[in-house]
Amino acid sequence: MPEKLNAKELCAKARRLRKVILEMCIARGGHLASSFSCIEILVCLYYGGLLKFDPRRPGWNGRDRFVLSKGHAEAAYYAVLADLGFFPSGWLDEQYRRGLCRLGGHPDHKLPGVEVSTGALGHGLGMAVGMALAARSDRSERKHVVLMGDAECTEGAVWEAALLASCHKLDNLLAIVDRNRIGSLDFTENYTSLDPLADKWRAFGWQVAECDGHDPGRLLQCLEDLGASRHPAPRMLIAHTVKAKGIDFMENDPIWHVRSLDDPSLIAEARRQVEGGGPDGHA
Amino acid sequence: MDMRDRFISTIYRRAVDDRRIVFLSCEYGAPSLDRFRSDLPEQFINAGISEQNAISVAAGLAKEGKQVIVYSIASFITLRCLEQIKLDLCTMGLPVTLVAVGPGYAYGVDGPTHHCTEDLALMRAMGAMTIYSPSDDRMVAMTAEMALAAGGPVYCRLDRGDFPNLGKLSAAEKENGFRVFGGPARICLVTTGALVRQALDVAAQSADRGIELAVVDLFRIKPLAQKPLAEVLSRFDFILTLEEHTLNGGLGSLVAEVVVDYGLKTRLRRMGIDDHHLYAYGRRERLKTMAGIDNGSLAEAILEAAGKCRNAA
Repeated sequence: MPEKLNAKELCAKARRLRKVILEMCIARGGHLASSFSCIEILVCLYYGGLLKFDPRRPGWNGRDRFVLSKGHAEAAYYAVLADLGFFPSGWLDEQYRRGLCRLGGHPDHKLPGVEVSTGALGHGLGMAVGMALAARSDRSERKHVVLMGDAECTEGAVWEAALLASCHKLDNLLAIVDRNRIGSLDFTENYTSLDPLADKWRAFGWQVAECDGHDPGRLLQCLEDLGASRHPAPRMLIAHTVKAKGIDFMENDPIWHVRSLDDPSLIAEARRQVEGGGPDGHA
Repeated sequence: MDMRDRFISTIYRRAVDDRRIVFLSCEYGAPSLDRFRSDLPEQFINAGISEQNAISVAAGLAKEGKQVIVYSIASFITLRCLEQIKLDLCTMGLPVTLVAVGPGYAYGVDGPTHHCTEDLALMRAMGAMTIYSPSDDRMVAMTAEMALAAGGPVYCRLDRGDFPNLGKLSAAEKENGFRVFGGPARICLVTTGALVRQALDVAAQSADRGIELAVVDLFRIKPLAQKPLAEVLSRFDFILTLEEHTLNGGLGSLVAEVVVDYGLKTRLRRMGIDDHHLYAYGRRERLKTMAGIDNGSLAEAILEAAGKCRNAA
């Protein structure tokens, strides 16, 4: 387990990892906007003392289980896992979307630190429900955390899993929705009605909290409060985020879900902003 | 005993002593399941009419060391959740057994929503999937045991009703996943599951008319023992295949692949459901007649095959 970082240190960690992710995506493509949307969430989980794990023993049975259901945030996930030492940092250059890459375009269960393969949306929550049911059957105290996309919540299977988890009162399950309000083509509310999203999850029997998904202090507080609750229900954190947070010309624009950052002047500007900590220097 | 009850009873006996076994039902019952639910409540989950989620949940359970059975109607536990089967089970090689009840027109009067005439093609296309299609009571119990021992994803195709034993399997037959009924003959009929009994009935009638027929009961569709099967098929002049399934990618396709891959010099005729959707409600035998896979159609096909064998001689 790495040393638990405080909110300020978590900010610095996220800023440093943004640089790593940016260089990965400049070199090899990848879902930069989706990764920047959830990097503070990942950093809080892995460096904020919320997940138990051991990079030297990825299969250690006492670990908490994390599932990146929005598998297209793989660049952020790989950057975190490499930084923690689950695999060599060199892989980010040598193996990411390159050749017969070990670090492919979506996470793979064979990778150290990755529980299950994801990439097709709407699978992660159900698999985590299964793991949580197994933990209960085995009298294990471990936690199960799933990070989902908001547009992923238009998959019917998500709500099937939500129903079963609440019926079984799976208080060992925490799901986080990265609520950046953008899918791959358009703003979510232009084609579906996710809002009021928190009310929907509450109606499904979940204990729900909401916060700014780019503020490590608020994230930590919310996650700790949810974890400490004795309410017999699965937990949901809706983290309000900005897609591509940290690069102003990409922020909150659906086209950057798929567009590659290959224009030299835009690359230079993106580097300048990420180096400086965001367009206004405070991201 | 009904196939599903034999299967579930066999699983029950193992589950009593093995807490790793977890049974997921997609809101689908059976007399034998009542005992399982009441005696082993911690090992039973009603996953609801949510087949996609049931497969993902099964994957999560299996990943954490459970041996999982998922039980539903054949059409629902295949088509509704195909991506979950592919990604959550097959790509990760997890030990989850799908128990699919009622292939073909087994749910005849319930209509096209419940007919399942594509499952073999779909499950054959799934990498790492083992497929069993047992034809009698003893084989169902054996299949349940083998599914638990498989260590990966398994698809068990169970028909509705009681299917008395057709004989004990030898070690070689168990190993190869098929058995052959009948002695020397020029015509061989390959089939699977409930249709084996139909094939044996028609073969007996044909024998009365002087046409000998061997019947191959292919009960393990995947992995297929290709070479042993090719060796058996090579002994015949004419091969018929019979399936209550689309001709696109099912049992007949599988046999055609063996014939081609092994360069067999034999004629082949595939009997199954043509490339159309039979949108009809009715008793199973009636639907089979409409699809041209009833006893009469089979007897005619055997007569024609015998004629072709004579002409070729």
